[in-house]
Formats: sequence, C-alpha cells, structure tokens
Amino acid sequence: MIGVISAAATRALLGRRRTLLLVLFAAVPVLVALLARDRGANASETAAALIDVLVIRAVLPITALVLGTAALGSELEDGTAVFLLTSPVPRSSIVAAKLLVAAGGTALIAGGSALAAGLIVATDSASVGVVLAAVVGVVAGAVLYAALFLAASVVTNRALIVGLLYTLVWEGALASLFAGTRLLSIRQYILAIVDAVSGLLSRPYGNPFGETLETSTAVVLGAVVLAISVAVAIARLRAWEIGPAD
Amino acid sequence: MSDGPALDSAAASVSRAVDPASIVLDHVSRWFGNVVAVNDVSFSVGPGVTGLLGPNGAGKTTILNILAGLLRPSTGGSSVAGRGTWRDPELYRLLGLVPEREAVPGYLSAEEFVVLRGRLQGLPPPRAVEAARRALATVELSDVARRPMATYSKGMRQRAKLAAALVHDPPVLLLDEPFNGLDPRQRLHMIDLLRRMAAEGRTILFSSHILEEVERLAERILVIYSGRLAAAGDYREIRRLMTDRPHTVIVRSSDDRRLAGSLIVDPAILGTELVDGHLRVRAADYGALARLLPRAARSDAISLHEVRPTDESLESVFAYLVEPGRSR
Repeated sequence: MIGVISAAATRALLGRRRTLLLVLFAAVPVLVALLARDRGANASETAAALIDVLVIRAVLPITALVLGTAALGSELEDGTAVFLLTSPVPRSSIVAAKLLVAAGGTALIAGGSALAAGLIVATDSASVGVVLAAVVGVVAGAVLYAALFLAASVVTNRALIVGLLYTLVWEGALASLFAGTRLLSIRQYILAIVDAVSGLLSRPYGNPFGETLETSTAVVLGAVVLAISVAVAIARLRAWEIGPAD
Repeated sequence: MSDGPALDSAAASVSRAVDPASIVLDHVSRWFGNVVAVNDVSFSVGPGVTGLLGPNGAGKTTILNILAGLLRPSTGGSSVAGRGTWRDPELYRLLGLVPEREAVPGYLSAEEFVVLRGRLQGLPPPRAVEAARRALATVELSDVARRPMATYSKGMRQRAKLAAALVHDPPVLLLDEPFNGLDPRQRLHMIDLLRRMAAEGRTILFSSHILEEVERLAERILVIYSGRLAAAGDYREIRRLMTDRPHTVIVRSSDDRRLAGSLIVDPAILGTELVDGHLRVRAADYGALARLLPRAARSDAISLHEVRPTDESLESVFAYLVEPGRSR
C-alpha cells in the first residue's frame, strides 16, 4: 500500500512546476563550484564552505520545505486529499509513503547538488572524502527536515512560514547568538554527522566545518526529532477534519 | 417534528439486526467555533434512495462529512453498518463518498484516478483496472477516460468522482450535490443510475437544495433547515406538508375593505389585514383560497386587480416546517 501511495505522490511531485524550480535552484551550487575551481585554495576547505553555505543552509532546507509541505499539506488544503483519506488505508502508511517521497526527493535534489558541486572543486582524496561525508550528512538531513516540515504541514496550513522561520531565524540567526539552540537544530545534527563521517574517511585533516555537537548526541536527538515528527503527523492525520462547508 | 411518525427513531434501528447498508445519526450536533452547523439531528436510513434536502448552508454537507468520517460530531454518534464513523479507515470498504468540492488531481486521467482508488481499496492491479473500466462505463465516461481530468467539464469531473466512489462497489453511497454542473441529459442519466444502484440493495444518501431533483429521485426525504431536521419521511408526505401550509397572498381590488369582510367569515381564512393600499390575506391552504377569493369577489361585484403570493421561496417553506409549535 505504501508503494501505491508513494508512486502516486511521486507522480504528483513530478507534475508540479515548483519541482522544476527546485532543480534549477539546486544547480546554483554547481555553477558556483565551476567558478570556484582551480583558484589554488585548499580544496577540502573550498568544498566544505561551498556545501555548507549553499547546500546545507539553503538548497537542503528549502527543498525539504517545499517537498515536505507539498506531499500532504497542499493536498489537505486543496481538497484532493479526501480521495486518499476516504480509503481503507492506515494513516501511518499514508504518512510513511508521503515521507518516503518527500525525503527521497529532497535527498536526490540536495544530495545531488552537494555531490556535483563538491566533486567539481575536489582535487585530492582528502577533499573527495569531505564531499562524500557532506553528502551523507545532506541525505540524513533530508530525512529529518522532510519529516519535520511534513508534520508541520499536517498541524498548520502556514507550514511554509513556520518552516522558513525555523530555518532562517532559529537555525540561522539565533544559533549564532545562543549556543543552546544548537541542541534543537537539524543543521547542527547534519554538521556533527558530516564531522563523524569525514573523520572516518580522512582523519588527519580534522573537521573542515568547525566545532559541532558530539556525534552520539546529534544522532540521538536526530532520531528523537524524526520519531516525534512522524508520531505527530500520524496522530494529527488520524484526527484530521475537513473544513466547514463554504 | 423529530417525533414525526414517518421518521424511524435512531434507537429503534440500533436494536434491530444491523443492516450492512444502514446509516444512523443519533442526536448529532456539530459546531464550528460559535456557529452551530448541525443541531441535534437523528435519523436512520436503509437501502434505497434518500434525499437530504435543504437550502445552501443548512448543514447538509456537514452531515455527509460526519457520516463519511471526515468530521467528528461535537456530540452524539454516527454509524454506518453499525460501525462508528469517526477515526475508522476500515469504514471506507463499505462507503463511497462523492464530495461536492470539484478538486481532483488534474494531471491524472479519469482512468488513472479510478484505478488508483481501486488500488487504495486493496484491489490487485489487474482487478483494479477491470473495476475502474466498469465504474467508468457505468458513469458513461469511457470515451474520455484517458484524457487528463484538468481538461474535463464540471459534469465530467462529477462523473469521474462518482466512478472513483463506485470502484469497490460499496453498499453505501454518499453524494454531496451530485447534480451540480450536470446538463439535463446527464442529470437524467444520473437519476437513472442512482435508482438502478438503489434497486440492487444499496443505500444512497444524496444532498440537494433543489426540491424537484429530490422529488424525482428520492423515495424518502430528510429536510434540513438551519442545522435541524425539519421533516423526514415519504416525499409525498413532505410535499403535502409544503403545499398545505398557510399561505399569504397580496390582493388589490376595487374594494379591499368589503372583500376582507366577506373573506374573513370563512374558517379557512386565518386573517386579513389592510396595509399600504392593499389587502393581505392569510389562508390555511391554497385550495381554500383559490375557491373563496373569486366567489367572494363575484358575489360582492368586486373586481380583482392583482393577486400575488408572497412567500413562495423554498427558504420560507423550510422556515415554516421548523416553526416551533406548528400544528399538523
């Protein structure tokens, strides 16, 4: 059943113009990488900076926000979700299938963007290691962001605004002022994961992304965010009510 | 009139053996914020076609959405085939809903859409395709079934939604304003189709704000006005209630005062009143007035310039039906 729903959701996603816009947006880091290559700087640092600033801070959360809210929230809003909801399908399967598509789409777009941009500037095995580590982090981040924004889109029909405030204000501005907000920041979990993976791949160079959370803390908190998001989305979908008649 | 003789009480039907095709609302109310959309409505509907009649905003859609498990009753209970309708996805094996909203995934063709619905009902792919083709043929949409639904007219979309609700052949069918957007020929076809499906033992509940539609199709009628069940029963019975209510007509004649005097002596005339240069006559029913007025005019040699009914809107009919303390 999850396969049926995710196939339909993929089809819906591919049919939307915003998906094309996201792919164009994801090409920006690749274009920047083409301009930044062969500048003689440290390839690892260039790759890390490029992926951090353009993909992890911008392409990844924006893609997850658009796909995560489109997967279920837009259908609930425009009324087409009624055809899915009046089917004898467990609400948990609906959430699982929609999350699969939103997270998978985000991972493909943002992960692809990070991989392509990173490999363009990478010159040695150490910098390739950094790029691969960053892609692992982006894919993990795609799942977390997509789950969070999908849950938000079932809870409120202002999920786009809420998601933007979360990424720009909470993870952006506040994180640089108050270190404590890092504990509840998907961006920080991603950086910790990248740190751990790049440590495995190219230990001598240390972490090119700077100081991060402990890996175990990040993994546990990330799992908690994922579990809570999925649980909230399922619970709210079970009790979802159609709006009053016009 | 919730104790009307033609209305099955919800309690009575619960004690009967549960019919797989029965729909019950048991003292259901639903409010949105401060607005009461449905106010203490009870009814029970079995196989056959039942019409939910009422003006726009009366609460028909809310009632259908509660029955379809898309809204939680604020108080009271709603069940289909003995199962509570709220938070039970398994309900949808028994139920097909045709919502009023037009929204369908426009990038899908009707065939893809109905096959998808069949797959969501748990049909394996070959059977889902077969069931979809049958449902599309039933609603006469086979010719265009491969075109994206975004290119459809309103009536075609309406029929695609119906096919999607029929794909798993449910015993209970709920339709919200199914005749909206249909041309006269499609309307006849839809009436014919719903009658046929009811004859096969299905329970069909549809809403409409047009009396003639309900009259042509429904064996039983539930009249909803301002969120309350105003009347329930056989359509002839309801029709009689609607025609035999007191009527007010405005009369202009050569001598209003004398005409009033000779009308008021008849017990069928409930009152007369001279206002703004004309005469308002309130009569117990139309028949009596149609008989008395010309007779009085002839015997007193009064010429009638104008006779005009004042309250023929469906709204006023409904309002009359829910008037408290109305005598029957």
